[in-house]
Amino acid sequence: MTQVYLPRTLTELWTYLDGEPEALIYTGGTDLLVKMPAENANTAPALICLERLGELRCIRETADSILIGSTTTHAELLRHPLILAQLPVLAQALQTLGSPLIRNMGTIGGNICTASPAGDTLPPLYILEAEVELHSRKAVRILPIREFISGPGKTQLQKGEILSGVAVKKPADYNIHHFEKVGQRKSMACAVASMAALLRLSPSGLIEAARLALGSVGPTVVTATAIDESLIGKKLSLTSLAATAERIRQLVAPIDDVRASADYRRTVSGNLLLRLLDARTQ
Amino acid sequence: MNAYIPEIGKPVPRADAVAKATGAEKYAVDHYGDNIVWAGVRRAGVAHGRIRHLDTSVASLLPGVIAVLTGRDVPGTNRQGIIHKDQPVLADEKVRHCGDAVALVVAEDRATLQKALSLIRVEIDPLPGVFTVDDALRPDAPLVHEDHPQGNVLLKATIHSGDGQVALEGCDIILEETFHVPVQSHAFIETENGVAWQERGGKVALVVSTQAPFRDKWEISHALGLPLDRLHIIGPYLGGAFGGKDGATVQCLLVLAALHTGGRRVKMWWNREESFIAGYKRHAVRMHYHLGARTDGTLQALHCRLYYDTGAYAHLGGEVMALGMEHAGGPYRIPHTLIEGWCVYTNNPIAGAMRGFGVAQVSFAFEGMMDLLAVKLGMDPLELRLKNALLRGDRNASGVTLTQSTGIADCLTAVQHHSLWHERKAWKKEAPPFHKRGVGIAAVFNAMGYGRGLPDSALAKVELTPEGRIRVYSGVSDMGQGNTTAFVQIAGQILCQDHTAIELIQPDTERTLPSGSASAGRTTYTYGNALIKACEELRRRLTGRAALMLLSDTLDDLELLPGRVKNLATGREIPLTALAAMMSPEDRVCISQFLMPVVRDKLDTGKEFVIGFPHLLFSYAAHLVCIEVDELTGVIDIKAYLAATEAGRVLNPQAFEQQVQGAIAQGIGYALSEEVLLQEGRIVNPDFATYIIPGALDIPEIVSLAVETYEPSGPYGMKGVGEVGMNGPLPSIAGALADASGIHMTRSPLTAERVLAALQNQQEHP
Ligand SMILES: Cc1cc2nc3c(=O)[nH]c(=O)nc-3n(C[C@H](O)[C@H](O)[C@H](O)COP(=O)(O)OP(=O)(O)OC[C@H]3O[C@@H](n4cnc5c(N)ncnc54)[C@H](O)[C@@H]3O)c2cc1C
Repeated sequence: MTQVYLPRTLTELWTYLDGEPEALIYTGGTDLLVKMPAENANTAPALICLERLGELRCIRETADSILIGSTTTHAELLRHPLILAQLPVLAQALQTLGSPLIRNMGTIGGNICTASPAGDTLPPLYILEAEVELHSRKAVRILPIREFISGPGKTQLQKGEILSGVAVKKPADYNIHHFEKVGQRKSMACAVASMAALLRLSPSGLIEAARLALGSVGPTVVTATAIDESLIGKKLSLTSLAATAERIRQLVAPIDDVRASADYRRTVSGNLLLRLLDARTQ
Repeated sequence: MNAYIPEIGKPVPRADAVAKATGAEKYAVDHYGDNIVWAGVRRAGVAHGRIRHLDTSVASLLPGVIAVLTGRDVPGTNRQGIIHKDQPVLADEKVRHCGDAVALVVAEDRATLQKALSLIRVEIDPLPGVFTVDDALRPDAPLVHEDHPQGNVLLKATIHSGDGQVALEGCDIILEETFHVPVQSHAFIETENGVAWQERGGKVALVVSTQAPFRDKWEISHALGLPLDRLHIIGPYLGGAFGGKDGATVQCLLVLAALHTGGRRVKMWWNREESFIAGYKRHAVRMHYHLGARTDGTLQALHCRLYYDTGAYAHLGGEVMALGMEHAGGPYRIPHTLIEGWCVYTNNPIAGAMRGFGVAQVSFAFEGMMDLLAVKLGMDPLELRLKNALLRGDRNASGVTLTQSTGIADCLTAVQHHSLWHERKAWKKEAPPFHKRGVGIAAVFNAMGYGRGLPDSALAKVELTPEGRIRVYSGVSDMGQGNTTAFVQIAGQILCQDHTAIELIQPDTERTLPSGSASAGRTTYTYGNALIKACEELRRRLTGRAALMLLSDTLDDLELLPGRVKNLATGREIPLTALAAMMSPEDRVCISQFLMPVVRDKLDTGKEFVIGFPHLLFSYAAHLVCIEVDELTGVIDIKAYLAATEAGRVLNPQAFEQQVQGAIAQGIGYALSEEVLLQEGRIVNPDFATYIIPGALDIPEIVSLAVETYEPSGPYGMKGVGEVGMNGPLPSIAGALADASGIHMTRSPLTAERVLAALQNQQEHP
């Protein structure tokens, strides 16, 4: 039988980890347990579940940033006034993640550590310039999310280390938040392509600042300063967006898989930009 | 809830609702038992090959392994199959698809079982495989079954009426198109499973998730060489089936395993992946159509060629194709037809029965042709359908005279009068940016019952128990469709008892009587008819016996009332408990048989079909769908759905609507996303993360209109309603897409990727 440990404090966690250095760490288990076939459940090393680690389950604000504890569930985030008011782009992405059941169990820490190119919180976190906080018994380190995630399913997480939280700057400069995911159905759908966008639109309708991130069209979330800059000073019009859409299609590096072809992903990742024509300013 | 008399026509709650909602009802999968052991199968993993070496010695020596069995250990013919017995229980020298069972292991627990399965050494010399119908039909094609006289053709058949194909020449307009539909999976919740054990006298009992407990007995007996009286099959409620549990899945394997466990119970339960790989599927079909019509829209002639990929074994492939061919002309009057069909063996997974049995496929084609014709003629697509709709007394595309209820025209009229239809133009104009809106319709039908050549019979049994209650012994499975609720209603209607006084026994070959499979929309029709006769006989008996005790010299004054029989003239009554005490056990039981009527026309066509052609009774439906297509992504969003369904009289409005809704939801999956993807016979998406069934958000509000007719041969005028709804979504959604964009898709499912490619193509080559 596999042992499952349920630490309530970080101190308990380090003790358990000392005793079971090979243990797998998880929180909601909606990725980890799914990948562990039932037939082999008993052969897994020990499991450490962070679900009850209250210290990490939090949403806080400082003057210019918002801190989210890693074991906060998607449902908790979606209920939180800070997230709804200040991070609509993240809230929109969470709304498309899995289903109510998955959002009740799944956590932001789990979504980040899974490091899937299709992870729905990742495009928003990239353009919100998120930084992740990593804790081990001895040290704490902070990394920008784009450095933490190094490839599909790959992160800089070291043995004995956990993700304790993620901090994002308040995107006060932006008045358009937009996220869209294309999946094979309306819920419980892995992104075939997705886009998160933050724009600042001047009263006269000129784009003054822009940040775009594309999901599921490369080994990790795709962003490019050059693309963002190409929008600046332009009107939010079909012509300007279509030109940038074409640049996006050239930039992305999608793959063919059972869900969609690379061609489709490439086309759609550009097309999704056109939706900004309908986006409303906040 | 207060007691009520379950009666015909009322939205009586499902008889199984409380027990299922509280978890008290036991599905097959809930059966375990003390000291249980586990059985599992090592599968070929190779689509076509010869077994060179099969070494089970290491696996057998693993502690906790009870038995390791191979084809050599199967007593009997080692052949299962419903009509054609061509599928080994355990492969002998050859494997014909990836899911073929090569060895069976019985072990103390699941971990040991998995370990032992992995320790079996199987070496298979691959043979060239056939994975498409075209490959299989090549003269030099490798043979899936060397001993099959027609090579890879399981069945070639023709249906011919009027002047056939020749009549096309005289038509004002001839349209031609080819359609493709993929393999669909049943995706039921409860995967294939059962528990078996050998009793002291040598008899083997099997609790199994099955649609056909009585036929299972014959199938097991044939495959394993066990006499019928050594088999006892128990078939509880199923957690879904949709045709996928019509025919042996775990049955023969489990009974074989039970012969080696010294009386201990043995359980087998396929996981989802195994269910995908080894379970049955809906046939992929390629359909070539030629349709001829007059300029006024009158249909004149049809020629079609249908190619059904039946996979490695026959299962019900020939019968599925027969039904598809019988429906290939749609619910329309077409005087001249030639319908040709090829049902072809390949090394793909086994195709068999599924809701809309061969018909869901051709519905896409014949309705696609009607949409093309409407565009060609500039005619209203609904008017065109109405103009050609079959009426009672017409001959259908197989040349069969429709003598029974035929309500397709009424269904179309109901749609025509609905606001979704006459307000569609205004609705379409309101499409949001980057979206197009379209409205599509489909007229569909589905035959009921087995058809000619196989007696569609049921034996109903009803008892007054010693406790004074009514017990109905159902011999036909309830896989969720709700037939048992209809049985309770029939008993309540005739015997006038409270719902709490009516009990149901689920199929059990030792307690209930053979009543055929839960399939073909026949369960309530056939068993219900038998049950009416049995209940009427019981009512006569109860009043007759009560007369003796109430000293009545006539039966006219006696009435069966809840819990008692009363003499209305004298006011005297006798409780049913007292009556039961007086009656002998055999006197308290009534048994009655019903045999479904068949077509009387002498047809000079379809002679290749041994069974299952033609059919007398059909249910009909007209569907309307409103969709929005996203031009940026190709995603189809279903905004509204309307179904007008004719299945005779409605016995239970709630149960009727549940069938309509469920079938449409499954049909939407078939239309938009469901496709078993195959690479050289291997399923690449054997799980629900990649085989995409719709979720609640993908299914719109569905408005269901019951268009009632009276079917004189049906119990209280009903016909089966379980399947017809499955056939409408694909053609109506394709029609809506054509209405929105001008693109007529001929390959399903209509995935966002396919739709976007078609939209782009249209832009580039207008
Ligand atoms: C049916 C279904 C639908 C889904 N739909 C979506 C979807 O639409 N979009 C989407 O993005 N995802 C989806 N997912 C994936 C999953 O739900 C999310 O990625 C979720 O956020 C994972 O969180 P979790 O807490 O359950 O992760 P877990 O399974 O607990 O962990 C995931 C990984 O992260 C590691 N981990 C977790 N927490 C920590 C921590 N604090 N420190 C270090 N390592 C940690 C684990 O070791 C594991 O490798 C779906 C999953 C399922 C089963």
